[in-house]
Amino acid sequence: MRFRAIFGFLGFLLVLFVALPVLRMVWEAGGGQMLEVTKAPEVRSAIFLTLRASLWATLLALFFGVPLAYFLARVDFKGKKVIESLIDLPVVIPHTAAGIALLLVWGRHSLLTRATGLTVVGTEVGITLAMLFVSLPFLVNGAKEGFRLVDVRLENTARTLGASPFQAFWTVALPLAKKSILSGSIMMWARGISEFGAVVILAYHPMTASVLIFERFQNFGLQEATPVAALLLIVSLVVIIVLRVIVDRNRAKKND
Amino acid sequence: MIRLIEVTKNFADFSLKNISLEISPGEYFVVLGPSGAGKTLLLELLAGLLEPDKGRVEGIKPEKVALIYQDYMLFPHLNVQENIGYGLKLRKIPPQEQRAKLKKIATELEIEHLLQRAVTTLSGGEKQRVAIARALILQPEILLLDEPTAALDHRVRRQIQHLFARLHRQYQQTFIHVTHDFEEALALGERIALLFKGEIIQVGSPQDIFRSPASKEAANFLGYKNVFSGRISNHYFEINGVSILTTVKEAERAHCVLNSNEIIISRRKFSSSARNSFRGQIKEIFPRLATTEVVVDIGVDLAVDITPQSFQEMQLKIGDEVYVTFKTTSVKVYEY
Repeated sequence: MRFRAIFGFLGFLLVLFVALPVLRMVWEAGGGQMLEVTKAPEVRSAIFLTLRASLWATLLALFFGVPLAYFLARVDFKGKKVIESLIDLPVVIPHTAAGIALLLVWGRHSLLTRATGLTVVGTEVGITLAMLFVSLPFLVNGAKEGFRLVDVRLENTARTLGASPFQAFWTVALPLAKKSILSGSIMMWARGISEFGAVVILAYHPMTASVLIFERFQNFGLQEATPVAALLLIVSLVVIIVLRVIVDRNRAKKND
Repeated sequence: MIRLIEVTKNFADFSLKNISLEISPGEYFVVLGPSGAGKTLLLELLAGLLEPDKGRVEGIKPEKVALIYQDYMLFPHLNVQENIGYGLKLRKIPPQEQRAKLKKIATELEIEHLLQRAVTTLSGGEKQRVAIARALILQPEILLLDEPTAALDHRVRRQIQHLFARLHRQYQQTFIHVTHDFEEALALGERIALLFKGEIIQVGSPQDIFRSPASKEAANFLGYKNVFSGRISNHYFEINGVSILTTVKEAERAHCVLNSNEIIISRRKFSSSARNSFRGQIKEIFPRLATTEVVVDIGVDLAVDITPQSFQEMQLKIGDEVYVTFKTTSVKVYEY
């Protein structure tokens, strides 16, 4: 019992380390002030823009990242480690560096801008791409682990029962990896919401919540930045909790 | 006729080398070998899940093959009924026909009461029956079985073995069954192939395989207790001062394998045409279910299996002086 108590105490200190600033900030902002800022159109649009762009990024990552994750989980090839490291890279580098790298290929007269005709700098597209770049490892790695846990012989069995490789993937591998993919998606979406460094370089305007908070802090100080920060925090927390509950309930049903 | 022609395959940690085999339609064919021999790889090649690096597989249509893996590989996100109906659904069989087929196969395999259960709640034997039902419902021409009883306890293993024998009689499909259990191979196989380290070292009837294993490894694997290595000169195999008469005249290096069932043990010298007779002392006695193993020291340790009745009648004890007698033809010689 003593052993558990010690571990519990050590863990509690860490939880406190996270909880204290959060609670302090919400306290500082105060209910009234937070309610006040929700009425400001620029705050609202910043928060919606943040949630939306991060959702686009996550959907894009699902479309391209799930196939990639499946491929990495099933196929061995030379240079696989390099690809896997490349996927992890956005976690390691400062996100301002990521933003600059993106700007070099998506800037106004850059290669990909000309090839695709997309206007990236200073648009929601740019914000989405910045979020996609920095947060896709969460989805890809989560999905990859999920597929790895699915015994390849289950898919082989499906194949001998008449499934094409795609049908085996769709009816066996995907449902079994679903939970990992959903968890990865939630993590990715959450990570996208919090992104600042890459977004601010690619698109200062339109303002995401993180950029708005930074701007207010720079121009008007703590007083103005805190309520917006607290609001973003509460919105994010609610969203994450709701999604986790949905995913866990799904899992519980499966185990009945 | 299923033909493997000089098939070579390397995959993960396993490999198959230059495998050539012919399996007749309707045959119960057993591939016997220790774990790691490449047995599963062989089945995956036959199922068309993998392509050989070299050589060809002929006479198999992948859509007519069902593969049942060792751990059954039931889909954990589907219940029993959905598992069994998986292949029918893919083939877009009308629901009514699906239900009829499902009912028939479930009755056949005595699993009607399990249909609505989650597969995670089934016992090993039940899982195996569900896996068999899922395969048989598609009426495959060839059934590939990967160690189908390895994960089952003794009693259930017997039931499943009987089930396979019955299904084979009833449906007349080709069964290709891989196992490491030579008793299972003996019980079920019409022909047996021995697979060692990715190579087929012998193919034949169970009798052929068990009477004359093709190598020392095969003999060891098949449970032969008397396997000796030495040299033969002028028909005599010499080991520890014991000279055993063999049918081979000269061999610089040879393994001699002696079936413990083909040795006679007696109190007095046994007069017969058998040319090998040695005096020795009983060193160990191991009572087993169907036989009693008596280890006699004749200069080397020789294991002799006798019936528990003979053992009783002779009243053998450790330390007793006895004679052991066996025919020259009972000594299998493998030169290497």
